[in-house]
Amino acid sequence: MAHVMLRQAAGPGERSSTAVIVDKLTKKFSVPGGESQFTVLDSMSLSVDEGKFVSIVGPSGCGKSTLLNVVAGIETYDGGLVTLAQKTAAPPRIGYVFQSPRLLNWLTVEDNIHFVLEAQNVPRERWRGLVAKHLDMVGLAGQEKNYPLNLSGGMQQRVAIARALAIEPDILLMDEPFSHLDAITARKLRFDIADILARAKPTILFVTHDLAEAVFLSDRIYMMTTKPARIFKQVPVDMPRPRKPEDSAIFDLEKTLVREFFSVVEAKA
Amino acid sequence: MSDRLKSGALRASSILLLLLLWWAGAQLTGDPDILPGPLAIGRTIWADLSTNGPQGESAFFDIGITLARIFIAFIASMLLGTAIGLAMGLNRVFERSLLAVIPWMLTMPTILMVFLAVMWFGYSEAGGLIAVMAVVTPYVAVNIFEGAKAMDKSLVEMAVTFRARRPLLIRKVFLPQLMPYLFSAFRYAFGMTWKIVALAETFGLKYGIGYMFFFWFGQFNMDQVLAWIVMFVVLMLILEHGVFARLEHRAFIWRASIAK
Repeated sequence: MAHVMLRQAAGPGERSSTAVIVDKLTKKFSVPGGESQFTVLDSMSLSVDEGKFVSIVGPSGCGKSTLLNVVAGIETYDGGLVTLAQKTAAPPRIGYVFQSPRLLNWLTVEDNIHFVLEAQNVPRERWRGLVAKHLDMVGLAGQEKNYPLNLSGGMQQRVAIARALAIEPDILLMDEPFSHLDAITARKLRFDIADILARAKPTILFVTHDLAEAVFLSDRIYMMTTKPARIFKQVPVDMPRPRKPEDSAIFDLEKTLVREFFSVVEAKA
Repeated sequence: MSDRLKSGALRASSILLLLLLWWAGAQLTGDPDILPGPLAIGRTIWADLSTNGPQGESAFFDIGITLARIFIAFIASMLLGTAIGLAMGLNRVFERSLLAVIPWMLTMPTILMVFLAVMWFGYSEAGGLIAVMAVVTPYVAVNIFEGAKAMDKSLVEMAVTFRARRPLLIRKVFLPQLMPYLFSAFRYAFGMTWKIVALAETFGLKYGIGYMFFFWFGQFNMDQVLAWIVMFVVLMLILEHGVFARLEHRAFIWRASIAK
């Protein structure tokens, strides 16, 4: 059982470095009650360059969330090597946006953010500024003292995004963050997130089953299939930003990928 | 009229109605040895509080003794019950073995527990304490266990992902989720505790409200019996509504602030 490792990042002279390297990652789960195991992730490899937005697209149940949990360091793995670049003396900070907001409903919006700042040992005198900056970034300035249950689902997810960004993460992990929202709210938030991340500039590993979303947001897309999970294609997306989802180049790429994706996934089913 | 004022007025008028019914009943029976009126009882209570009774102390002394017994027994059973409940929530061996035993303890009639405790420990403070703990602790443990089981694991996972350490996790994630269970255990435990303490005082312990009640019962003094009952009930109501309701309100202030 291995754990995510740290590796010295490239020196300041180099133009870019790789923030996350997943090399032949294999993860098995044991079947409850039985001796047998099944393979969730089978010799999976990918890398995320610093400051880039990388998406992993795959059907549900293909082990995408497991991959994020391994990178986050909350799950171990059985084979291969997962390393994160370490730029300073401290290990890289990891922000996580889950499918559902996972806010602490008994705490105000600002206290929800304080919670992770305290967890990450951010000095108390910086809290006020960090909260204000990131709530403003997600369009929730003035909601500091409000409680999560007073906010709509979309706004709650914005708080979750502000929470993940407030710790100024080196790596931001996002697990289908828009999949629980209605189409209109999701579309609005997708627009905003592209803009927010252009300013905050963390390295992003983003998991989704929505190819349109992936094409719109990503610098690179890894396409996964299931049983066992493996990557069957990687696609660079070299379109200029800011992008528009209606842009024909984006639309064309999406169409091509959808066709390819379903030809592979459905052949398995 | 504000809602608060309205409910206050409603409460006051229903108490007034009860006193009125009492007074009417006393008038109808016309015999103060069977049902003395509320005014007579009020005078008796005042006399008990302001002068020394047959034991050489005023009623405040017995009230103090009873309160001390209630609080010690209550805190002891809350602490032990919470510890057992959490252990059951965290450990499967504890869970399985205790879940087999607790129904037996919960089925045990309270009054038999008091008798047993008196037979084992004699007419001592320990007897009363053990009786309360034997009845209340299992109930508290079951409640806290339910709370521990109902804990939202996705929030714990969130906290761990953001590297929250154990003290922070307990303070901000575990305890708030346990709060409703703690309070429901709290209320029940308190209600049971004072009932058992009163019972133990009646049957065995020296001093206290229950003891005085039994003393006057022996003299067949209806005035005094009713006066001590009223004192006891009023005292418990004050504690229940004045103290616990306030604490509960403070703990759940975040719920109240959510727009309806």
